[in-house]
Parts: sequence; structure tokens; C-alpha cells
Amino acid sequence: MADWYKCPVCRKLSLEHQDLARHYLGQTDKKHKDWLKSKNLSYSHLITMQVTEFGNKGYDALAKVLEKEAAVVQVDVK
Amino acid sequence: METKYSVIGKPTGNVDGMAKTTGEGKYTFDMYLPNMLYGKHVRSPYPHAKIISIDASEALKLPGVKAVITGKDVPGGKWGLWRRFRELCDQIALADDKVRFIGEPVAAVAATTKDIAAKAVELVKVEYEILPGVFDPLEAIKDDAPLIHEDFENNINATRHIEWGNVDEGFKQADYVREDKFTLFPQAVVSMEVHNSLASYDKGTGKLTIWSSTQSPYYLQLGLADALKMREGDIRVIKPHVGGGYGGKNSTMPDATTAALLSMKTGRPVKVVFNREEEFTTTEHRMGLHLAIKIGLKKDGTILARECKIITDGGAYTGLGATALYLAGIFQTFPYKIPNWRYDAFRTYTNKVWATSVRGFGAVPTVYAAEVQLDRAAKEMGIDPLAIRRKNLMEPGYEAPGQYKVESCGIVPCVDKMAERIKEKWPKLEKDEGIGYAGFAYMSGGIFNWIDTPYAYSGARVQVNIDGSVDLFTQAADIGQGHNTVAVMICAEELGIGIEDIRLHPGDTATAPVDLGAWGSRETLMNGNAIKMAAGQVKQKLVDLARAKLGENIAYDLVCREKRIYLELRPERGYSYYEMVEAAIKLNDGEPLIGTGHYTPHNKGMISPAYGMGIMAMKAKVDRETGLVEAKDVLIVHDCGQVINPLGARGQVEGSVHMGLGYALTEEMPNDNGLVLNPSINDYKIIRQRDMPQIELLDVPTYDPSGPFGAKEAAEATISPTAPALANAVFDACGAEFDSNCLKPERVLKAIREAEKNQKNKAKAKK
Ligand SMILES: [Zn+2]
Repeated sequence: MADWYKCPVCRKLSLEHQDLARHYLGQTDKKHKDWLKSKNLSYSHLITMQVTEFGNKGYDALAKVLEKEAAVVQVDVK
Repeated sequence: METKYSVIGKPTGNVDGMAKTTGEGKYTFDMYLPNMLYGKHVRSPYPHAKIISIDASEALKLPGVKAVITGKDVPGGKWGLWRRFRELCDQIALADDKVRFIGEPVAAVAATTKDIAAKAVELVKVEYEILPGVFDPLEAIKDDAPLIHEDFENNINATRHIEWGNVDEGFKQADYVREDKFTLFPQAVVSMEVHNSLASYDKGTGKLTIWSSTQSPYYLQLGLADALKMREGDIRVIKPHVGGGYGGKNSTMPDATTAALLSMKTGRPVKVVFNREEEFTTTEHRMGLHLAIKIGLKKDGTILARECKIITDGGAYTGLGATALYLAGIFQTFPYKIPNWRYDAFRTYTNKVWATSVRGFGAVPTVYAAEVQLDRAAKEMGIDPLAIRRKNLMEPGYEAPGQYKVESCGIVPCVDKMAERIKEKWPKLEKDEGIGYAGFAYMSGGIFNWIDTPYAYSGARVQVNIDGSVDLFTQAADIGQGHNTVAVMICAEELGIGIEDIRLHPGDTATAPVDLGAWGSRETLMNGNAIKMAAGQVKQKLVDLARAKLGENIAYDLVCREKRIYLELRPERGYSYYEMVEAAIKLNDGEPLIGTGHYTPHNKGMISPAYGMGIMAMKAKVDRETGLVEAKDVLIVHDCGQVINPLGARGQVEGSVHMGLGYALTEEMPNDNGLVLNPSINDYKIIRQRDMPQIELLDVPTYDPSGPFGAKEAAEATISPTAPALANAVFDACGAEFDSNCLKPERVLKAIREAEKNQKNKAKAKK
């Protein structure tokens, strides 16, 4: 059994918050965008940070939020 | 050079060279059918606008006009090449609700002459409601930017994140770290033959035949099936000679869909030919992008980490842009060992014509940045630019975690050969001359299956007739790169006959097995394998028969060579090829000898079964007064496996360098709010013959186990190093640095002044 983190909008599960953030910023639908808005975050700001600055700044900023917001799911990965 | 091969490896003129040079060879452009109509598009003058109404009544009154169609007449839906991800299939035949770039077709007319069609286009009245547009990727992703496609928030079309090793740790360990930013401009394709198609729909049978200037008859068949809501099998695509594609003819484009729709509506054959302005303003090109790149090295020049970020100006639709995004990252890592690597890429929709695969497919802009940055790092670290490359080269068996594995790999001997040859070739430089280097590598066809084909990636069928002549069928596409010649050479070599014994039937979906088309340097390896297998099946039948007739020891090997089938160690014991063919057919109840071959790569990683690679050096001279850069001399050492046709490979290298030099020096597409400002050959500057440098091409032979006779990619790889080698030569000559491609004199002068200023400041600081 492992702890997986669930995207607050869709069914995506990830083993790391940063990976979940990567998934999130790759989504292009309104539901994902609206959830960000509800957390006072901006798609545009996060992506600009990720793509114009070095490091994983955009992903890390979102990962911090997801640490609080993403549900933990126990999945058997045998 | 003595070789074990009779056909391959020998410089061979194109099998269709005579037909092409005498004008006998027919391109779609040359074709006419009785009763044929001419189709022409009504195009949007706005980059982003709602279509309120279209009134074609005046156009339809014009004598000679036979039909006008709009988006309402399109029976099918959207299409695209990313069929595994339907949401990325975003192309439409005629804009219905809104237009997304200047020049997007909103209606089309069919008329008895070209002139009448052009007049009718003027008479179609379209009412628009203008919407705000967005033209730069960094603007497109803003939260308040106008949305170009519903369901694509912030205009994000595709994203990629690839990371291996521990990048942050790599940078921490590095003795030297540098960061650079670039903006790379788009590049037009400019095939000599424009996009054009001739469609003929049979209302009686409900079947469509289309002749088209395409890189992939199969992709066109799929695109048309979606656009027209027809079965693939009811659409026959025939690809006559094609006058260039370079990546710009992979997508199904409106020349084909409109010709088909108008033919279906009128019941007459319809031809649609784009003019040169339409080529520049409404067909696909190489992506422009913003790029940030960071490198970390040890004192001795060993690369420890690299990070690259790009955001690309995708334009209004996807095309193969999402694939280009992936390959832009992957090929930036070649031909070096980069233990820690991070890549982030975002492709945005903008209100421009869209970007796609173009020769070098993704790699050209990112390789430019990486190779230019490497020289800047080498200079600051006091390391020779060739030595820093030599230090980091891949070796056979090198693996990039989760992405690719390199089997044959001759890059080390390539660089060593380069180092030797440079000393003899350019022992001394003149004033204001410099030498620039760039490494390169490229795939031999892609493994990724975004098209979601259920078929093998390449197929071929060989039929040997009673007189020994061979009919070879395949959908593989010669688009000017010489694959028809490579195909018959491989077939001839396998059967031990001459190319004159073979009649090739290429590019017809009704008669030949599927091949995915000419992109990503795939035909030699993938179609070559299929052909070799098909010919190999027939060869086996002939060998078995000869063996039985000879009654020799079962352990003795037989070969097919020089039109004979004989014992390898006792060549005098054997039969003529013709004798064996006749006997085999008679023995087979009169059935011609048939062989089929199908190839799909397996267990070869995510990218490609094999990689061609090498190193380029460019000598250039800078005029410090005018800023004019002259590319004087090019030296290339290329590992491209077993070369099938050295003459063809050489020609393709020259073409790649030519296109790369255009990217380096003269070609750009300035755009004003969606309007391409230089849509003509006069204003879009392609390198002329007289401006081409001398090119010396040296070969490092390797054998790749994935390729037919050990063959792999040749020549396409050499486009990517051309622009960075040139920029590095200028850097070597005068220290000028550039944050873009296209080193026009005004940019060069500015960079020279900047370099001089920096040098003075440094000198002052030292004092
Ligand atoms: Zn999600």
C-alpha cells in the first residue's frame, strides 16, 4: 500500500505533490482553472514562473498548495 | 572502396531523375482531368473573428461558377495527426463559427476557370465580428487573454516536462554555471511545389480519388476520412512526384479537403492549387519560441546538468507541433552525455498560422541555443570548443533514462576525425574569420504512435514475374529526398539483381501496403526494413529451390548476387537468377513470387530505433563595417550507418545546410498582429546558390542493428548544427553574441558594438 495524492479536480493520482502539480499545469480545461482561481492562484502566473525562470518554481508553488488540498488515497500498487 | 554489396553504397543517380529533369515526370501540379473545375478559397482578413453571415448569392450568379461551399457543407468533423488524443485534433475544413488566423478559409468556390474562381471569391460577402487576438506565447497564457479554442484555458495546447537525474544537485556540484535566454524565429517551408490537390468523386460508387502533393498518403487518407465522414478505404490517395515537403505536407490541408468537398458537391473533378502568398500565409512553418537555458559544468568541461525551458508560438492549430515540442527537448541532449536534465515546454495557441514539423523536427531552435551556450561556456572557462564537446560525447549503448538508448554511435570517431582534418584544412585564419562547431544527431523515424495507426509502421510488397522483373509496391513517400532510389536499391541488393530490374509503384493507398510517410528521416530505416523483408521472402524461395537442385551439403550458404544464386564459397556452383525465378513460378502452379514485409519498431525506447550523428565545423568571415556575415566553408563528419546511396545522402546534406543557413542568416517571418509581412519569394530571403559555402562531407561508417544493411538516418541531422556553427564562428571571429537566429547585418553590427563595449569594460575592470 502506498500514499497517493489525488488531483482536487480530476482522477489523477501521483506519488509526489510536485508531480501532481506538473499534471495540473498541463491541464487545459475550465474546471482545473476554476479550482486554481478559487485558491487565489493564477494559471498564467504559475506557468510563466515555470517556463521563464530556472528550477521548478511554478510546480513547487502549486505543490505547496496541493500538500494541503490534495486528498490522500491508499492504493495497492502490487 | 571494396564492399560486400553490389548495389548499396554506390553513388546512384535518382531513378526518377531523368523524368523530373526532362519534365516527363508528373506532379499533382501538372495534372488535369477532363471536365475539371478550379477551386479557390475565400479567406479571412482578420486574425480572430466570429463569422456572422456568409452570402454567396452574387458569386453564384457569375457565369462559370458551379458551386460555393461554406463550413455548413462539411459533413465530417475535426481532424488532426494526434489521433490518440482527440482533443488535439482541432483542424477544420472551413471555419464555421469563427476564424483563428488571417487567411483561414471560410468558404470556397468551384468554377470553370481560375480567373472566374478568383472573381467569384471577391463576390462572396462575409460579415465578421472582430474579436481581440493574441500573437505572442507569453501574452497568450495570460489569464485575461482571449481564448482561441474553447476548452483550452490560457491557450495552452500541449505541455512537456521531462527530467532525469538530480538537476538541482548537478548545478550545486558544478564549478561553472551559466544562464542564457533566446528568442528563436519561425522559418517558412518554401517547397518548390505548392500545396495542391486534384479530387475526383464518383457519385455512383461514393468513392473518392485524390492526387495530392503530400508527405504521407496514409495520413491524408485519415484526415480526409474525418473531414468528409467517409471510410478510409473509400478514399484513394495517389501521391505523384512531390516537389518538396520538409514537414509542411504531413497535415491534411484545405487544398485537399476543399478539392474533395467541391468535387462531391459538383460531381466533377476539382483542383485546388495554392499560390505562393497562400503558402507563406496559410500553411505550416517551423515554430518560433522563447527559450531559457542553463548549463552546469565541472572545471574540466564535463557537463553536470542542463535545464531548458521553452514556450512556443504554436499558432491556431496543432499539426505536428505537439510532437515538435517533445523532440525539441530530446534532440537538445544529443550527442552528449547529460547526467541531469530538466526540460519544460509549453505550446500555446496564437492567432497566427500554425507551427509544425519542419526539417529537423523540433530540434533546430533548441540545438541552436544549446550549442551556442556551450561555446560561451567554453570561452569563459578557457577550454577549446571542440575539446569541450569531445569531453562529453555519447558512446555506444548510452541510455537517457526512460527516453532513449543509442545503439550504433560513431560520434567519438567523428569528432576525432574532425580534429585531425581541421588542422590540415584550415591551418590559418584570415582577419575577422572564425570557426564554429556544433554537434548533431537525429532520429531514424519516430517510435511514437500519436496517429494511432493499427497498421505496421511500414509495409512493402514484392512481386517477381516470370522474366525476373520485379514490381515493388509501397506507400512510402519520395518527396524529393530520393527515397524511390533508396527503395529500389535495397530491394535490388536483397534479391541480388539490378535496379533496372525493378519497377516501383509508390504512394498509392489502393495498391500498396501502408507506410506512415516521409517525416523524421524514417523511410530509409523503416520502409527499408519492410522492403528488405519482402524481398527476403522471395529470396528465400529462390535459395531453397537452388539448394534443392544443387543437392549440396545443407550447411553451405547460398547467396543472391549479380543476378546469380550460388554457393558463397564456391561461386562457380549455382544458377542464374532468371532460371530460378522461372522454375520457382512453374513449380508454384504459375503464381508469381510474392513477398510481403511489415516493420514496426519494438523495444527501442520512446524515440527512435537508431540515431545518425556527427559534428559540423563552419568557417565564417565577418565584415565589421557592414555586419555582413559570409559562411565560407563547411566541414561535416557524419555517422549515418551504412550509407545506401552516397549521392543522395550528399544531396540531402547540401539541402539541410542550405535550409540551416537560411535559418542562420536570412530567413524570418516578421508578423504584425497576425499578418505575415513578407509573403513572397522576393521578400522572404532564401540563401541563393552563389551564397552557399563549400561543403566537405566525411563519413564515419557504423552498422546499426536496427536498420536495413545497418543503415540509419542520414543528412536531416545536419540542419540543426548549421545555424549554431555559424553563430559560433562569428563569436569566434569577433566575440559577438546573439540571442536569436537570423544574423542579419543590423543584428550583427549591434552585437559587434555590444561585444566591443563589453571587452572595454572588462579591460577597465582588470586595470
Ligand atoms: Zn487533474
